[in-house]
Amino acid sequence: MRAVVAFLAARLARALVAVWLVSTVVFVVMRLSGDPVPLLLPPDAPRSEYARVAKELGTDRPLPVQYGVFLGNALRGDFGRSIHFRQPAAAVVFGYLPATAELGLTAFALALVIAIPIGILSAVQRNSLIDQLTMAVALVGQSAPTFFVGILLILVLSLKAGWLPTSGRGGWAHLVLPALTLGAFAMASIARLTRSALLEVLRADYVRTARAKGLRERVVVIKHALRNAAIPIVTITALQFGTLLGGAVVTETVFAWPGIGRLAIQSIYNRDYPVVQCVVFLSALLFIVINLTVELIYGVLDPRIRPR
Amino acid sequence: MSDLTRRELLKAAGVAGAAAMLPSARPDVAEAQTTQKRELVVAQGGDIAKFDPHFSTSSNEIRWTFNLFDNLVSRHPDGKLYPGLATEWKLTNPTTWTFKLRPGVKWHNGDPFTSADVKYSFERTWDPKVATRVNTVFTTVEKVEAPDPMTVVFTTKKPDPLLAARAAFYGGQIVPKKYVEAVGGDQFNAKPIGTGPVRFVSWTKDDKFVLDANPDYFGGKPDFDRLVVRPIPETAARIAALLKGEVDIITQLPPDHGERVNSGNTRVAGALYAGLYVLAVNSKAPPLDNPLVKQALSLGIDRDVIVKELWRGRGIVPNSQIAKGDNHYDASLPPLKYDPKEARERLKKSGYKGEEILIETTSGYTANDKPMSEAIVAMWRDIGVNARVDVLEYSVRAQKNRDKTFKGLWWSDPTSTLSDPDGMFWRLLAPGGPQDYWRHARFDELGEAARFSVDEKFRGQAYKEMTKIFLEHLPWIPVVQPYEDYGLQKYVEWTPNPNQQFEIRRFAFKFRRV
Repeated sequence: MRAVVAFLAARLARALVAVWLVSTVVFVVMRLSGDPVPLLLPPDAPRSEYARVAKELGTDRPLPVQYGVFLGNALRGDFGRSIHFRQPAAAVVFGYLPATAELGLTAFALALVIAIPIGILSAVQRNSLIDQLTMAVALVGQSAPTFFVGILLILVLSLKAGWLPTSGRGGWAHLVLPALTLGAFAMASIARLTRSALLEVLRADYVRTARAKGLRERVVVIKHALRNAAIPIVTITALQFGTLLGGAVVTETVFAWPGIGRLAIQSIYNRDYPVVQCVVFLSALLFIVINLTVELIYGVLDPRIRPR
Repeated sequence: MSDLTRRELLKAAGVAGAAAMLPSARPDVAEAQTTQKRELVVAQGGDIAKFDPHFSTSSNEIRWTFNLFDNLVSRHPDGKLYPGLATEWKLTNPTTWTFKLRPGVKWHNGDPFTSADVKYSFERTWDPKVATRVNTVFTTVEKVEAPDPMTVVFTTKKPDPLLAARAAFYGGQIVPKKYVEAVGGDQFNAKPIGTGPVRFVSWTKDDKFVLDANPDYFGGKPDFDRLVVRPIPETAARIAALLKGEVDIITQLPPDHGERVNSGNTRVAGALYAGLYVLAVNSKAPPLDNPLVKQALSLGIDRDVIVKELWRGRGIVPNSQIAKGDNHYDASLPPLKYDPKEARERLKKSGYKGEEILIETTSGYTANDKPMSEAIVAMWRDIGVNARVDVLEYSVRAQKNRDKTFKGLWWSDPTSTLSDPDGMFWRLLAPGGPQDYWRHARFDELGEAARFSVDEKFRGQAYKEMTKIFLEHLPWIPVVQPYEDYGLQKYVEWTPNPNQQFEIRRFAFKFRRV
């Protein structure tokens, strides 16, 4: 137990350093890349207006001072007021979170439910027609850009076939296309990795032993092979969960889905620093939590890497 | 569909196959010309961020604040001014405008509308404590007085011929004094109350914005019960939503998608943009300080090809710095000429030595900005100009605009805010204006005089002479006046407004019903 606490404490310290570094990088990059004031004002605003708005937003102060204010507030959980929405940035971001969570979790669940059985099936029936077909589709899924997949799905399943709405958020029908689009890449890579990890394990001696003992093939695959192939599958799955967040930027824009990916990209265009910083902070936090969870799962799956 | 049996499905497929052979046998097309809908759904390219009309000049927002609120004066799709919250207005002496207000108008919360609201609204725009984004709109106004509940008197610093036009555009929306003062600016922005034909119901960021028809509207209840605005940023997704019938009207329809929309149940409606797309010129930077070089550049652009190829014919070639449809537009002037031979000659006469000439363009900020830049640079190379395109991100462009640091030429799409040259080229090119890169004593003198004259005949003369000077010196190179297109269901009868207003009042919008 003490080992676990020490392990968690060390991880937490590392996580804090990571969050600080990420926020600092975002702070600097956002400031280097542009000023929000000209974007807020009509193009014929006089110079005095620019000065006034800069003062109002605090962008007229030297960068180190702005940075100090930002860090001080962030420590207290205050990300400042959104320049664009004239509301607290954290409130804006949290307002967008449920939509992204809904889409991200559905896409992720869809990916798992479809990809892992397919991966197992094509590993077990190696070189069969099913194997070749699914792996070919997976290759396409992994290499086609999200943007393209999204538009294609809209044109074919929604506009031509008329089965599903084209965009927007609403009932479950609205969720299908964006979740498929967002999950396509994750689905493809999880399926491919499940297949190759399983294939490797199926050649191992203990599998041959299990079969020699006369166990049923299903027990051999699920209980003996899959458990040992799980470590890389869990790793890639967790990583894919992270990339879902990145994919959300494109998917949410294509499908007019009101989530934080779309908020992030618009806030970058608007140079709405407080919102961008808040989104990045949350994403960094999420990544760290995922990584931590994965490491804990490793321990469950493989007693050899349990912290001692 | 899921309830169909296999046999029914086959039958349906047979019917569909037969119907496909007879082009006129598509029953849905004929039916779709009318509707029973009581809800209007509009998809636009971006979301709304603010409902307080004094805090926004962006088209995604003013489309709706012009409908939540009313102005004293209303600019209709025909470009003319009509009564709004004011029933009449007149110049009582050169620096005094008197507006008579419409009696019996109520705010959405039931409060009566009076002259106190008007006085408060105008003073709010320039109040430094409120710090609005429209505080430069009424700089000509000295004071606003409300001698009785139905009269407002404006005193201007100098004669202002365009006060009524200014009152009709952004900044001129009238807000409720009592409500704003009671709840404060933030709450007003979150739950706006106006006098307009629609009332605020709810807003889910980046998802939808819901408004209800105002049954007591003085101009009559609009022809729907509910209005839903959906932001769909991706053009392809926006068009798909229209074609599938999920939305009734879409904004920002690019010209190369017109053909797809103009078929079946949908159609294209456009208005000639109240403004121009021009290449603004830094006339201080050699060799662009030489009028002959700029004349050569203008003569070197084949605008007909640009209109035909890049705008699919959805635009016209300008003839000066004044947009068609504006006051004092001179229809007798010929469209700007393409003459590569003459261009080469003027280039030679100018002593141009092959210095690099740069177009700084954004990509997608204004329609066709980058493709037009590339086409024009190719045309200029043909007449012997060493031209190049540089692509900027929008926020960089905004900074260069503020700091006046454009190197050569850049795109500008000046909107004619007042349907008059004063709110168009003079707003931008005047001394101290955002595009002040060139000065000419006579031009400046005339521009100032026209701004402050209430004598339209004199103003007409002044703009005529300014046009002559403009065409010689070309502080802008006008390129195209495009149409702004919308996609609509055929059962929608709606006339777009040329100046980014989105008019849903009774006189401009109707569902076709059986």
